[in-house]
Amino acid sequence: MLLARLRAGDQAAFRTLVRARHGRLLRLASAFCRNRASAEEVVQDTWLAVITGLHGYSGEAPLAAWINGILVNKAKTRAVRDGRMVAFSDLARAETAGDTFEPERFLADGHWAERFSPWDALTPEREAGDRQLLAGVAEALERLPPAQRAVVLLRDVEGLDSAAICQALEISEANLRVLLHRARVKLRDAADRLVRPR
Amino acid sequence: MLTCHDVAEQATDYMEGATGRGRRMAVWAHLRLCPNCREYLRQLRHGVGLARRALAEAPPPAEVEDALAALFAARRPGPAE
Repeated sequence: MLLARLRAGDQAAFRTLVRARHGRLLRLASAFCRNRASAEEVVQDTWLAVITGLHGYSGEAPLAAWINGILVNKAKTRAVRDGRMVAFSDLARAETAGDTFEPERFLADGHWAERFSPWDALTPEREAGDRQLLAGVAEALERLPPAQRAVVLLRDVEGLDSAAICQALEISEANLRVLLHRARVKLRDAADRLVRPR
Repeated sequence: MLTCHDVAEQATDYMEGATGRGRRMAVWAHLRLCPNCREYLRQLRHGVGLARRALAEAPPPAEVEDALAALFAARRPGPAE
């Protein structure tokens, strides 16, 4: 039992936890923070709180969820303190304005103007071995507007449930879905460009 | 009858199960008849998987892990406290 070992001060157990969670925490933090350095500090603060809080942690919530909760709080506290956090409700308003699709993507009768050809070449083997493709997708993620990037990180990459995301970002469920949709549309388009010209 | 444009706009709501029953049936019916929209939705889903795999975890650098392990060793409140 990981928790019992952690509470007993087992170094190996703690290292296992750090290896499993550190990268994910950094990604979560980067959904809130504007730059890498402040995301790293938030993660560092989170680990400190985890270490000191282990004995007080009830064990009711899964360990990962408890740690994520600490991180979200740290990220918000920090934002209030130094004003470096993105104000998601404002960003959401800006990023959901206008149309999701350029009008020219559809014909007058509402049919697609383009025919989608399957990404047949994209087998799991090829995908796993194709660093350029995955790097291209990661870049496309970085290029998303901040609120769209945050929801896609939290929902699609980290798999948090929508209620938790809405609470953390202080946006409505409707906003969340519009942001998510726009992000997914852009990611698909980016992937399509990466898959096709080979 | 929904158009491709309608279905494209509602694709995420549909995939997230956030559409009402009537809407859901209408999207489903459109997808049955429209291979192009089926392919589009397949690619939207695939894009989500790609994003997840693109950011697959890299283990933290050894010096970060060591520093955190040192903190753990130093700060851990012992059961005797």
